[in-house]
Amino acid sequence: MLNVDERWDLIDRISKKAIKFGKYRHTLKDAIGELTVKPLTGIPVAIAVLYGFWAFFGAFAGFFTDGFLVKLFDAHWLPWLQKVFPAARDSWFYYIFVGDPLADNCFEAFGMLTSGLFVATGVVLPAIVAFYLMLTLLEDSGYLPRLAVLIDTILHKIGLHGYAIVPSILSLGCNVPACTACRILETKKQRFIMMTLLAIFIPCGAQLGIMLEVIPETVGWVILYLLIGYFILGFVLDKIVPGKSPELLLDIPPYQKPMLDNVGRKLWMRTSSFFTVAIPFVLLGVIIVNLLYLVGIIDWLAKALSPLLMGWFGVPKETVGPLIAAFLRKDLAVAQLSAIEMTKYQMITSVVLVSIYFPCVATFVMLLKEGGGKGLLGSLTALVVTVFLYGGLLHLIWILLGVA
Amino acid sequence: MKNKFGSVYFSVFGLFVLGFGIAELVIGIAGRSFTWSILAISGEFLIWRGFILFFAGLFYLSSVKNLAEIHQLAKVVMASMMIWIIAGTQILATITESIPGGEEGGWLNNWRDFLSTYSPPYIPSLILLPFSLVTIYYIYKKRSA
Repeated sequence: MLNVDERWDLIDRISKKAIKFGKYRHTLKDAIGELTVKPLTGIPVAIAVLYGFWAFFGAFAGFFTDGFLVKLFDAHWLPWLQKVFPAARDSWFYYIFVGDPLADNCFEAFGMLTSGLFVATGVVLPAIVAFYLMLTLLEDSGYLPRLAVLIDTILHKIGLHGYAIVPSILSLGCNVPACTACRILETKKQRFIMMTLLAIFIPCGAQLGIMLEVIPETVGWVILYLLIGYFILGFVLDKIVPGKSPELLLDIPPYQKPMLDNVGRKLWMRTSSFFTVAIPFVLLGVIIVNLLYLVGIIDWLAKALSPLLMGWFGVPKETVGPLIAAFLRKDLAVAQLSAIEMTKYQMITSVVLVSIYFPCVATFVMLLKEGGGKGLLGSLTALVVTVFLYGGLLHLIWILLGVA
Repeated sequence: MKNKFGSVYFSVFGLFVLGFGIAELVIGIAGRSFTWSILAISGEFLIWRGFILFFAGLFYLSSVKNLAEIHQLAKVVMASMMIWIIAGTQILATITESIPGGEEGGWLNNWRDFLSTYSPPYIPSLILLPFSLVTIYYIYKKRSA
C-alpha cells in the first residue's frame, strides 16, 4: 500500500517515461487568444464580433423573409386562401383560421393559417436558423469562453460571473434552453438572478426577427433600453437577494476551426425543437386570442385596463390583445402590435412592454421547473415591479422629450 | 528588411483605417451621410462601424514597433479581422439584396438591377479590404518561420 507521497513519486516516474517534454512555442493562435480576453483589445473585438453577428442575422433573415417569403405569403398564399376557404367570410370559423377578410397582407390578417403560419415559418424560422448558426460558430471556434472571461468583471457587479454570458446569449435564441443553461451557475442566488433577468430583459430570436420586420429603425434603441434594464435590475437583485456569488474558474480551449459536421448537427438539434415546440404554440396562440376576441373578453379587458395602459404606459388600449398573446408567444404579440394604429414612440413602448411583461408560457414552465415555486414567485414579483416602473419610465422619457 | 516594409505598410494603412474610423464616427454622430467618388460613408450602424474601424486603426498603429514579435503580429491579425467582419457582412448583405426581385418584380432580380447592386459607392471597410489582405502573407510567413 503506497502513501500519498509515494503515489505522487510513482506518477512522476511514469510520466517521465511516458511523456516527451518539448519546448513550449507560443503560437499566433495563443497570442490572439490572450489579446481577446484583455479588456483594452478584447472589448473592441467583442463589439466587432457582435456587429458581425447582428449584420449576418439581418442579412440572412432579410434575404428569406423580405426577399421571398413575404411575397409568397402576401401575394399568393393569402389571396388563394381567402378564395378557397370553405366557410362564409363572416363566420367565426373563417375569423379564427383566415382572419380579417379584407386584409391584404399576412401580418394584418391575424388568422391561424395566415398570420400564425407566416410569423412562425416566414419570419421567425429564418431568424432562428441565422441566430443558431452564428452561435454555434462562436461556440465551436472557442470565442464564447473568451467572451465569458472578458465580461466577467462587469457581470460580477450584478452578482453573476462570466459564464452567465452563456445563458444570456442562448436566451437571445430561446429562453427555454437558456433556463436550463442556468445550471452552470453555482449558487441558488446566481441562478435566480439569471433566470429572472433573462425572462424579463432578453428578447428571444423569434422576437428579434419580428422586431426587425416591425420596427427596423428603432430596434437598436429597444435593445439598448432592455440592456440597461438588465444591468439595473441585476444590480438591485444582487443587493437584495441573499446568497453567495463565487468567482469564475474556467478552462479556455484553444481557438480552432469549427467542424462542418458538428455545426450542422448542433444547428439541426437546436432548430428542430423550434418545429415541435414553437410552431404549435404560435398556431394555438392565434386560435386562443381570436376566440377571446370573438367572445368579447379582449374588449372587456381593454376597457378595464385602459386607465393603466393609456395613463401609465401611454399606449393604446388595444395593446391588451397582444399582451395576452405574449403569454403564449412573444413574437406573435409583436406581430399583432404592428396591426394597431399608434405613434412610433407608442410602438417602441409597446414592444418593450411585450418584451419585459410576463414570460411566454414555455419559459414560465421552465422557471417553475428550474427555480421551484418560490423562485418562480420571486421572479414574478421582480417582473411586476419592473414592468410598472420601467414601462412608466419610458412613458416619462417620451413626455420629457415632448413626443408623448 | 521585409518586417521593416511591414512596419511602414501597416503604419500608413493604420492611419487610413483610423482616419476612416474617425470620419464614420463623426458623420454617424452628426446623423449625416457623405459620398465622394467610389466612397460612401452612410448606411446602417455607421457609429458602430466607425468605432470598430477606429480601434482597428489603433491596433495597426500600436503593432508596427517590432512587428516580428508574435503579440504585435496578433494585433495586426485582429485589426484585419475586424475589417473582414464589416466588409464580409457588407458583401453578404449586397449578395442577398441583389438576388430577390423586389416587391413589384418577379421572384428573381433582372440582370441590370442585379449588377447595379454591386456598383459603387462602397463603404470604407470594403475599400480597405484588399489592402488588409497583406496580413495573410505575414501569417504564412510566421507559420513557416
